Order: sequence, then C-alpha cells, then structure tokens
Amino acid sequence: MRTLTLLCAISCLACAQSDSLVKGLEAYQKGDLPAAERELRAASKSGDPRAAVFLALTLAATGRCQEAAPALVQSFQADAGDTGRLAGLGLAQCHLAANRLDEASAVVSALKSKYPADADVLYQAARLHMRAWNDNIYQLWQKNPASFRVNQISGEILETQGQFTEAAAEYRKAIEKNPRALSLHFRLGRALLMNSNSPEALAAAQKEFEAELTLNPSDAVAEFQIGQILLVQQKQAETAPHLLRALQLNPDFPEALIALGKLRVDEKKNDDAISLLNRAIKLAPRSEAAHYNLMMAYRNAGKMEDARREKAELDKLQKAPEGEFSEFLKKLGEKQPTQK
Amino acid sequence: MRAAAILTGLALLWQDHAAKTPDFRDVAVPAGLTQAFPNGGMVTKEYIIETTGSGVAFIDYDNDGLLDAFIGSGDGAPSRLYHNEGNGKFRDVSAAMGVTRNGWAQGTCAGDYDNDGFTDLFVTYWGQNILYKNEGGKRFRDVTKEAGLVQDRVRYNTGCAFLDYDHDGRLDLAVANYLKFSFEETPKPGANPYCWYLQIPVNCGPRGLPFDRNILYHANPDGTFTDVSEKSGIGAPDRSYCLTVLAADYDGDGWTDIFVACDQTPSLLFMNQKDGTFAEEAVLRGAAFDDNGKAMSGMGATSADYNHSGWLSIFRTNFSDERETLYRNRGQGEFEDATLTSGMAHNTKFVGWGCGFFDFDLDGWKDLLLVNGHVFPEIERKKIDIHFKDRRILYRNLRNGRFEDISLQAGPAIQEKHSSRGVAIGDIDNDGQLEVLVNNQGEAPSLIKQSAGPQGNWVLLQLTGSKSNRSAIGARVRLTAGGMTQYDEVRSGGGFISQSDLRLHFGLGEAKRIDKLEILWPSGVKDERTGLEVNRVLTLKEPQ
Repeated sequence: MRTLTLLCAISCLACAQSDSLVKGLEAYQKGDLPAAERELRAASKSGDPRAAVFLALTLAATGRCQEAAPALVQSFQADAGDTGRLAGLGLAQCHLAANRLDEASAVVSALKSKYPADADVLYQAARLHMRAWNDNIYQLWQKNPASFRVNQISGEILETQGQFTEAAAEYRKAIEKNPRALSLHFRLGRALLMNSNSPEALAAAQKEFEAELTLNPSDAVAEFQIGQILLVQQKQAETAPHLLRALQLNPDFPEALIALGKLRVDEKKNDDAISLLNRAIKLAPRSEAAHYNLMMAYRNAGKMEDARREKAELDKLQKAPEGEFSEFLKKLGEKQPTQK
Repeated sequence: MRAAAILTGLALLWQDHAAKTPDFRDVAVPAGLTQAFPNGGMVTKEYIIETTGSGVAFIDYDNDGLLDAFIGSGDGAPSRLYHNEGNGKFRDVSAAMGVTRNGWAQGTCAGDYDNDGFTDLFVTYWGQNILYKNEGGKRFRDVTKEAGLVQDRVRYNTGCAFLDYDHDGRLDLAVANYLKFSFEETPKPGANPYCWYLQIPVNCGPRGLPFDRNILYHANPDGTFTDVSEKSGIGAPDRSYCLTVLAADYDGDGWTDIFVACDQTPSLLFMNQKDGTFAEEAVLRGAAFDDNGKAMSGMGATSADYNHSGWLSIFRTNFSDERETLYRNRGQGEFEDATLTSGMAHNTKFVGWGCGFFDFDLDGWKDLLLVNGHVFPEIERKKIDIHFKDRRILYRNLRNGRFEDISLQAGPAIQEKHSSRGVAIGDIDNDGQLEVLVNNQGEAPSLIKQSAGPQGNWVLLQLTGSKSNRSAIGARVRLTAGGMTQYDEVRSGGGFISQSDLRLHFGLGEAKRIDKLEILWPSGVKDERTGLEVNRVLTLKEPQ
C-alpha cells in the first residue's frame, strides 16, 4: 500500500506548506512509519486535509484500520482526485485484511467506476476476486467434500494448469456422482480434446458431447463440437448438419457460422460462405478467423476489392499491440550483438 | 463361383496393399555415418540457438554420379562432408576437402553459382555464412569474402536457396533470417512471459526477441554477390521469424517466386514481379496462416504437384498443438488450406521440421515424409504425449487429394525417436529408390532406406543448363507416362533448411517408357523429348 502512494507523496511534497507534512511524507516514503505517523499527526493538527489522509494511510499500513477508516472514507467520497483514489485503495485494503469481502467489493466497484483504467485499482480488484474465489473453494471443500461440484471445480482448475488427463479424471468422478448434471460431459469432452487429437481421443470426446446433448438437447456448443470432430475425422458431409443444428439452437453463434462458412468455401459455394461469414463478423467484429475466411471467400469469388478490404481488416486486428516489451525489444534490436 | 471370385479379389487387394507397405530401416551405421552432431543441450536448452538445429545436403560434389552427404553441426563439432564410396558406404572427407568450420551451422543449399560444372555449397550460420566454392571436385574453398558475402554483424541466418530470379543465367541467393540473437543480451529461461512453456521455464523466443530481415543476394558476372534485399523487396516486411526458404514458380508465369516458412508469425510468399523485385502476397494468396487466419510456427517447407494438377502446392511443418499445413495450389499461385481435407489434421503432438515429398512406392504420386522433435527437452518433465525425441510421420498419397498416415506400419526407421531437424532426400545408389538423410540433434544422423525396393518403374533426370545456370535450378519439367502427367522443378534449398538431390525423381508405376518430357529451362528455352527409356538416370542438356 505504501508503495502505491509513493508517486503521489513525491508530488505532494512539492506543494506541501507544513514542515511536519513534508517530513511526514518523506518518512512515509522511506518506510519509516513511526516517524511518518509522528510528523503527520503533528501536521494534521493544523487542519491540512492531506496530512489527515496520509496519516490514515499510515495507520492503515500499520494495521490500525479502525482508526484510519473515517478519514479514508471521507477522502474517498469527497476527493475525485489522486488522494481520493489512494484513500479508496487503502479502505479496500482494510476491508480485505478484515475479511469483509462484501464491503471491500463495494469499495472496489466504486473505485473501478471512478478510475476504470487505473492499474492499482485493477490490481486490487483482482486480489479481491482471487480472495473470494479461494474462500468459496475452501468452503466448498470444507462443507461438501463429497459433492460432485468438488470434482468439477478440481477439473476446471486442473484444466487451467494444462493438466488435462487429471482434469478428465475429475470430471469422470463428478459424472459418476451426478450423471445428470449439465456441463460435465461437455467439459470432459473438451479436456479430452485438449489432451490429444488422436483418433481415440476424438472418438471419446464425441461420445461425451453426445452424452451432453442427451441431457441437454439445446446445447448448441456441444453440437458445434461434434461438428468439429467430424471435420477432423474427414467426415465433411456429416459435419454440416451438426453446424446447422447448432445455428438453429443459437443463430448468433459466430464460431458455428465461421465453421459453416469454411465448409461452404471448400464446397466452392462462395456466395453462401460470404453471407455466413458476414453474419459472423456482425456478431464478432474482431474475429480474425471470420475476416480471414471472408477474405478467402471473396478472393475465390473473384471479388478482389472486397478481399483486399477484408485483408486490411485482418491486418488491423493482427497488428502487434504496443505492449510493455516493445521498447525493450526495440532497444535490444538496435544493439550490435558481438560474435561469440 | 461368385464367392470364389470375391475371395480372389480380396487376395489380390491384400497382395497389392502388402507390396506397397514400405519397410524403412536406418542404415546410417553400416554406411559409416556414425559421428554425432551436437546442437546444444539435450536435457535443457538455455538459448534458442540450441533449438533450430542444422540442415543436411545430398550433393554430388565430384561428379562421379553418386550423391555425397553434408551434415551441419551446432557449436562444439565441425560440420562434415562425406564422400559416397559407391558400396553403400560414406567416407568422411571433411578435412581433405576443406570443410572444417566449427560453429552454429544452420541451413545449407547447393548450386553451381560460377557455372563451372561443379556444385558449390552455401552454409548459413548464426554468425558468418560460408560460400564453399567447389574447385573441380577436389576441394572446397571458402570464398565468402571475395564473393562479397561477409556480413556486417552477427546474424541468425537460417534457410537458403540458390535461384535465378532475373533469368540472367547466374544463380542468386536467398537467405532467411530468424531473429536477432546474442548470448549476452537474450534473456534467460523464465525471465519473461515468452520464456515459459506449460509452466516450465524454457529458452526465450522467438516471441519477445527482435525480428531481423531476410536477404537476397544478386549474382554478378564476376562471381561476386550484391545485397539487393531492400531494392528487391525481400528485406521487408521484417515482422516474421523466418526459417526455410522454398523457391519455385508458384503462379506458373515462368519466374521463380520465394516462399519462406516462418515461426509464430505469418509465412511469406514473395511473388516475382519480373523486374528484379518481389511483392509479398502470402496473406491474400492464402499461404501465410492456417484456415483460421492464425500464424503457425512454420519450420520446414516442401513443394510438389502432389495431386497432378500441374501446380506446385506447399507443405509446411509446424509446432505441437498445431496442425501441419498443406497449402493446395488452386492455380495461378492461389492457395487454400487443404490440411483437413487431405487427411493431415490429426498429428498435433509433434513439432515438425524437415519434410519432403517423395514417391517411395514409385506409383507416380508423391508421398510425404516429415521428421519431428520438440524444441524444449524440458518437456519430458511434464510426462505428457509431447516429446523432445519423437518418431517420424509418413503419409502415403492416396491419389485422390488425400493422404493416409502409414507411420506405424512403415518400418522401424519411421518409428525410432530422435529430435530431428534437417532432411535431404535423394537416390544414393541410383536404383530408383529414394533414401533420406536426417540430422538428429546431439546424435548421429539417420540414413533411411527401404529394405526392399518397390515394384514400380522410375526415372531420375539430371538436367544441365547451358544458357541457363548449369545446375538448371528453376527448370520446370512436365513428364507424361502411363497416362499420368507429373510436374516438378529443379530446386535448391527447402525441406528444413536443407538440400535434397538436385536431380528430379519420378515414379512411373507400370509405365515402360516416358511418352513425353517437356522441359522449360530458366532461359525460356522449351525442350520436348519423347519415347524415353525408364529405370535409369537420364542426363539432359539444355539445347544451345
């Protein structure tokens, strides 16, 4: 928390009038919190609101949130500037420390609406949700250890870690406990596909998606997945009905529109493909797959101007973001490496 | 009666299938190819330079009619040249022939750049490339400096190809560049998000490392080269991590184009504008991405008219969790991703490298081999079905636009596990049956040969240019025999940064003669011959 305030403290130093305030901020900056508290208490007696806020931040940083809270709340509500932002962050931190997740959530929501792109705010939001996630998982395991949900959530966690075999095993346990629960067969099928695209894995995954459809005949995504498997299995003729069914169930399903569009390109039905892919782009304007396949369909139809327009869209979407590495990389590139 | 006929039919079908199931064996040890070639760590690899490995070449450097072998090495051992002794044996002639350079050898390509009748060799490096001038088949001399090929800084040169892009009868030289790398400045494993793979800290890159540009050297009449990368358009865009150069006439206009397989970035297709410049058109021509518009990790690339369409299609190897890519040429150099429809979409656990179309069963339809091996030896810690050392993949051409994966039935040499990189294909004993030389990281190479010859007829065409470059690189051949017309081109480079036999090999099935052979020489001379014999090496010279 103290580091969050570093930049502000420095900037405040320049405009501080009180000697104690300057000393207090310097001490805060150096991490000498007892000295900071002493100086800021002295400064706050003069009525300088900045001293009161930084004193509250110092108190919060040393675990005395109860004493800090009134000043933090006041500053957060009254000040739309940086001091208010710091006060809000301090307040959220206090609620999190006291495990008051609902209160912390309210403060973080307010912070996000006031400072939607602020890195410190987004970081605090991420911490809050991580804490909430951890707490709920812990409670699930503590209170319902035999529930299929425990296996389901374990599978989901293992999936995010790339441990697809283990994830599949958890989904199987969950299915055994609750054969009629929705989404389990779907997730199992997906984990199997993530682990391998071998013929055996494709067949096993297809069975799972079919089982999901038995439980939930309106699952458009399961229909789509079956279509994709059939495509890899070279069964193009059988693919289209599944994609069409997926689109009946959910007409606004861009992936299904793209997949069907690609099939139509292969079948040289360029007009159909163009229509499907334009629909996909309306739903998912940033889909590179949609723009790429529309470009190909236009090209194959001899509509080169349209194809070039789609290529330009694709180029825009694929332009590398100016990320944090860009400058570093540029500098590295300009150096003349020496030969070993 | 009918039942008996059905049974006979079944028996015949079985015989046909059994006859065509190949049995590939590794004969490197009896051939004398026993030297291991290091390429960085085999348990961990700290830098990306350890991952890309090296190419190989089949060239007949002394014109004795037998293919010799060059094998590139990573740092720690020299690259080596082996002479084909003619009895299935190879002899190390590296020192005697002056091929002794140590360092991080990458790609290799061959061509008679000085038109003296002896095939020269170009080897790329992380560091200074080498042009080995072949002096009468007696020795190779490093002429890099006098040829004007010294580079002003250390580059990560990778694939290369000789080509005559301006039809002046001299071989020019295209060189791909991977990225900017130095041991001092490249981050260490785990240093940033680009240095992790499946939660394991691994060597960094290519993402996160700076791009470099590709190079085109124009051959001058005096034996020197001039860097024309900028003027020709080859130097741009410098936004791809490029590996294999594959030069061929993709749009059938008689001028050589250049495809470059690139890693984690769009592959490039430079279309020859016939005025000394190229236009990069891979995206619109459908040869940059997969069918979702995503850049793949392109490593190796090879070309063939696999479907007898009269157009050269492109096959590219990619990374694990990606499909290989077959870009089918629809005509005029417009490609479409035919990976799925051709039956190649299921092998997604391999990191593919060297590859080559070759007609192993001599049925007149080009089959396809690719070799594999992950870039991260550390992957073995994960105990998943992706491996640093892995088997090869062999696809049989089903003659209908599709391929059948017969890897598991094709003999031990296809199933043995190595971390393989470069591949060269050629007929080392002129028996019409093609052999495959494979560079394996940290091990001796593989020399893959069928234990028994297939049944079909064949022909090997050795073309020699007169007005065109002597190697006849870029010559286009249309061969009609037994009711089939096949098309191919004499090509330098390709595979994965390697050089295959410069002679053209055609399986002819049951055809007893070649009805018609049409050659379009790079000079523009058209040459047509009829009634040629089969099962031999035909040496054909460009008409004066």
